[in-house]
Amino acid sequence: MSNIFAFAETRGGELRRAALEAVTAARQTADQVGGEVRVLIAGAPGIAVHAAKLAAHGADMVLVVEHEAFTHYNPEALAATLAAGLASNYRAAFFSASAQGKDLAPRVAAKLKVALASDVTEFAFSGDAVVAKHPGYTGKIVQTLTLKATPAIISLRPGAVLPKESPKAGTVQNIPSAGDPAASRVVVTDTVVGGGAKLDLGEAPVIISGGRGLKEAANFALVEDLAAAFGNAAVGATRAVTDEGWRPHSDQIGQTGRLVSPDLYVACGISGAIQHLAGMRTSKTIVAINKDKEAPIFKIADYGIVGDVLEILPVLTAAVKTAKQGA
Amino acid sequence: MKIAVCIKRVPDMDVRFKIGANGTSVDEAGLKFDISDFDGYAVEAALQIKEKANAGEVVVISLGADNVQETLRKAMSMGADRAVQLKHDAPVFDSFAIATALAAEISTGGYDLVMFGRMSIDTANQATGTMVAELLGLPILTAISKLDFDGGKAKARRELEGSYELIECPLPAVVTIDEGIARPRYPSLKGIMAAKKKPLETKPAQVGEQSYTLDKMELPAERAAGRIVGEGKDAVPELVRLLKEEAKVL
Amino acid sequence: MSDGHVLFTIIFVCALGFFAANIQRLIGELQLGHTDDSRWNDLPTRFGNFLRIGIFQEKIFRDSIAGPMHAAIFWGFGILTLGTIEFLIGGVIPGFSFQPFFLAPVYAFFALNQDVWAALVIAAVGMALFRRLTKRVKRLQGAETHPNDPLLILSWIASLMITMFAYEAFEMVAHPDTMTPMLRPISFGVAMAFSWMSPSAATVAHDLAWWAHGLLVLGFLNYLPYSKHLHVVASLPNVFLSNTSGPGQKGVMKPMDLEGDLEVFGAKDVTDLSWKSLLDGFACTECGRCTSVCPAHTTGKLLSPRKIMINVRERLESYAHAADKSTVADRTLLDGYITEEELWSCTSCGACVQECPVSIDQLSVIMELRRNLVLGESRFPAEVMPAFESMEQRGSPWAFDPGDRGKWAEGMNIPTMAEMAERGERPEVLYWVGCMGSFDDRAKKTTVAFAQIMQASGVKFAILGQEEKCNGDPARRMGNEYLYQMLAKDNIETLDKYGVRTIVTACPHCFHQIGNEFPQLGGNYDVVHHSTFIESLLEQGRVPIVQELHGPVRTFTYHDSCYLGRYNDVYDAPRETLRRALPVMNLVEMPRSKDKGLCCGAGGGRMFMEETVGKRINVERAEEALATGADAIAVACPFCMTMMADSVKSRNANVEVYDIAEVVAGQLRA
Repeated sequence: MSNIFAFAETRGGELRRAALEAVTAARQTADQVGGEVRVLIAGAPGIAVHAAKLAAHGADMVLVVEHEAFTHYNPEALAATLAAGLASNYRAAFFSASAQGKDLAPRVAAKLKVALASDVTEFAFSGDAVVAKHPGYTGKIVQTLTLKATPAIISLRPGAVLPKESPKAGTVQNIPSAGDPAASRVVVTDTVVGGGAKLDLGEAPVIISGGRGLKEAANFALVEDLAAAFGNAAVGATRAVTDEGWRPHSDQIGQTGRLVSPDLYVACGISGAIQHLAGMRTSKTIVAINKDKEAPIFKIADYGIVGDVLEILPVLTAAVKTAKQGA
Repeated sequence: MKIAVCIKRVPDMDVRFKIGANGTSVDEAGLKFDISDFDGYAVEAALQIKEKANAGEVVVISLGADNVQETLRKAMSMGADRAVQLKHDAPVFDSFAIATALAAEISTGGYDLVMFGRMSIDTANQATGTMVAELLGLPILTAISKLDFDGGKAKARRELEGSYELIECPLPAVVTIDEGIARPRYPSLKGIMAAKKKPLETKPAQVGEQSYTLDKMELPAERAAGRIVGEGKDAVPELVRLLKEEAKVL
Repeated sequence: MSDGHVLFTIIFVCALGFFAANIQRLIGELQLGHTDDSRWNDLPTRFGNFLRIGIFQEKIFRDSIAGPMHAAIFWGFGILTLGTIEFLIGGVIPGFSFQPFFLAPVYAFFALNQDVWAALVIAAVGMALFRRLTKRVKRLQGAETHPNDPLLILSWIASLMITMFAYEAFEMVAHPDTMTPMLRPISFGVAMAFSWMSPSAATVAHDLAWWAHGLLVLGFLNYLPYSKHLHVVASLPNVFLSNTSGPGQKGVMKPMDLEGDLEVFGAKDVTDLSWKSLLDGFACTECGRCTSVCPAHTTGKLLSPRKIMINVRERLESYAHAADKSTVADRTLLDGYITEEELWSCTSCGACVQECPVSIDQLSVIMELRRNLVLGESRFPAEVMPAFESMEQRGSPWAFDPGDRGKWAEGMNIPTMAEMAERGERPEVLYWVGCMGSFDDRAKKTTVAFAQIMQASGVKFAILGQEEKCNGDPARRMGNEYLYQMLAKDNIETLDKYGVRTIVTACPHCFHQIGNEFPQLGGNYDVVHHSTFIESLLEQGRVPIVQELHGPVRTFTYHDSCYLGRYNDVYDAPRETLRRALPVMNLVEMPRSKDKGLCCGAGGGRMFMEETVGKRINVERAEEALATGADAIAVACPFCMTMMADSVKSRNANVEVYDIAEVVAGQLRA
């Protein structure tokens, strides 16, 4: 009986949520098609401490690779080890399509001389094939694909699978790395966690943006408060406001500024001029707060509040803080 | 430095797509095509490396039907020295099969550096470049946003989620390029005219066996019409509820 | 005096020879430029310009103080030249005079004018010196000008007048019996002041003054090629040869052939400019009128149209004088004299061209240099790249889905050309909407308003809908001729496919482009701007509006669009339209209106660029508009609408900006 593999991603010695998503997916698959769920975790000595959590999410066996050379991400040694292990007796292997997973999974697939299904949002096993869905064309097209290789290498879009507890034995087995992990050609010399002061507009999952409706530069403090309440938000601005000098030009979102596509875009006191919309219309969810109900921004917003942004922002900030604490 | 850059011809992304009649491609009526965004950054990065060293060659390679020649000419109008078309009329979706064809061509070139965009902006698998490196037996640094050379080594920075890695490997190597490294230059008319005279070679592509097939393309569920949730600060609780439960962004 | 005459003749001939050599040299320098369009076409218009602008100083009089002053000097100069000819011949042929050749009253009139105009010239010169030295009029200063040159010239002219009066007066004192006080009353007055002199002393004084005058005249003639005063020679030919005075011709950019092997794109150096642009350099008097009306310069940017022309001449001379060209090869006009910053600040408003009294085309030089920057080197402000890419990929400078063009018409029952063609119908007129009108939310209101007016008036019109593409004007103005021709040719193909003849548009840029520049690429259509169109509909009584004769009186001011106004001379139609729609409206004019109107700041591709230096042009204009006390501002252009609405709102939220179509549509019978 073929087994189902999952890779447990770690960073800085900590287990990442991506690992649990992969394990959950493997567990769901094993429950459907049979076989054991085997999870590999690699890191500096002591990484085995996470085995319990992996077991709790459905790992039948946890393969532990411990070596100093795995303190940082070690792609070549990992890929070699995984490929060697997956060469036989595995039906499928799950990775996360995280930054690390997108680097690792293709290496493994290439070593096994197969293609992979990457950045998958849905998948189903039928017979000796896997049918999966994967977004493309900047999210505008959903591609359905069939992967007929064994093992079927699958990387999951982060957030597509909700980690679920399904306690299993999780027997720990220490295995050696394939080859000398200290001899990898690709070396990570440093991993800087939470690097940089401000969250970059291009990376932030949430952007709170302010426009002329804020009336004066000082009121941007309200926008910054809301961003702080979210925790993972960056602050943007419209051209009107950067022209006036209230915010630096690098904060400008629009035709002549930054083009952004966050999960959530909150437009505060922004009317929605063509120039600005060109910069943010591909945001997944758009919220608009403006006192003019005819403002063009409301046509593109998913949710809107008509009213005085200076009054609404503090109330919204407080509500978001409360919601975040409860989560 | 002798640099190879692999590029892909993709449609302009800022339009609303329609699915083509065969269900496995987009309707090309009215679409304009260009170099895939990240590949464009790679071409620009390669040109800057060559210009900084005041020496070297940049070769662009693309797999596809004859229409990719236009895309290769665009890269040459930016400054690439010559181009190779690996001719294959039917579209290929299997990254490993594509990588096999590319690796076969690149291995003959004696390149110091092989560059890719980190992923193609249409099919978005982010796999081909890495697979080519494996097939060539070369080290690879993926999705880098900064690249430097120091004593026969490539040193790079990779962005992670809210953090970053500093990573390096010896040359020759493969790198895949992320945003932030360089803004592709706009070709001047002078460059466009010069590109018409640069060499473009066409060879048959040696595409491997395909275990990955594209069954269909479809449009995602429509973005539901937005709505005004309410007026004034009293609408805030409802908004927060919707953001939490419906939009799931809180 | 025959020895003196022989000596003078020799000097005279040498001076003429030297002058001729210089003129030949200057012509040689002009030939360093490339050939240009025919400048011998449309002779009636050219002669008309020569007379109106040249001889009758039409543009000079736009400055109500300097105007009469300069006219006095210019007309005086012309009239005194006749006297100078008589003088010079008299230096060769002893005792020569025009008197025997003309009837007595004719000669008397001639002589009287010599005196009178010489006096006027002295007065004007005095005024000119006062303006320069005491009043220090702003436009006469400027880092790029040569300040000593004008002072030398003015002093020289004054000396010429003084020496003329001197020799005439001393002649009278020396030969009191032959003097004719009525002929030269002022000289007579001067003579009276010296009547105490003995005839022999007066003769000596006369000879000295005569020789002084002669040498000053010949010296002046030969100083011209080395001075900005060369305009005396160059300006009248320049006015004749210019193409800058004709409706629809003012702003037309030079055609550019992109087929074949181009070695140079646009202009990098003076040798890439046409001979006409080089002549413009010689004709420039450094008067500064152009710079004083330049919207960029007056709001603190580096650009000075005067500097552009002075640089052309400086570079030409530096290049031409170098025996070994390689020593001067590096300091090209572009970058060596004129910087990118200056070039990108230009809004192509045409105020400089409008104002220049000698019909120089500063704008064409700026545009040729832009073409070199973009086509030759891809050097342009970074924020412009998305606009170029979007025009290339999507047919619009903004990244909007081309499928959304025509969405504004939903529910209005407006047919597309394609639909009409299918039914075998043809519209009266094609409504060309333009990119702003199709995609920008504020401009869409204008689009809808104009469509409503046409529907209410029973006009049978159609739109191109998704088949419309950007006419390429922003690309062309920014120097990207390649992209422009691509777009223009696509549009011409579409228009010709439907056999379109008549087009109406609410955007002056589309209006100018399609009507005046598309013919260069083979597209010939009759294009009307919506202000003219609505005015004619109103005049015909076709528009069912309610003309309120009572009710609150609104005060409007109308902001002239550069591409509608200066480029195409349409000033009255929009105003007339407002008056007919709102009879009780009070229309006030801004100080800078009609052909002196201040640009809104968006033209020349500047809509797509950042404005980081000095005061924002649209704010300058908004302040001017608000200062009129108007409670509403009318425009007839979507770019002006965006700029004015933005800046006016930031200064006074109570004043609204309307397109004239919206004003009319607001009066439509329900």
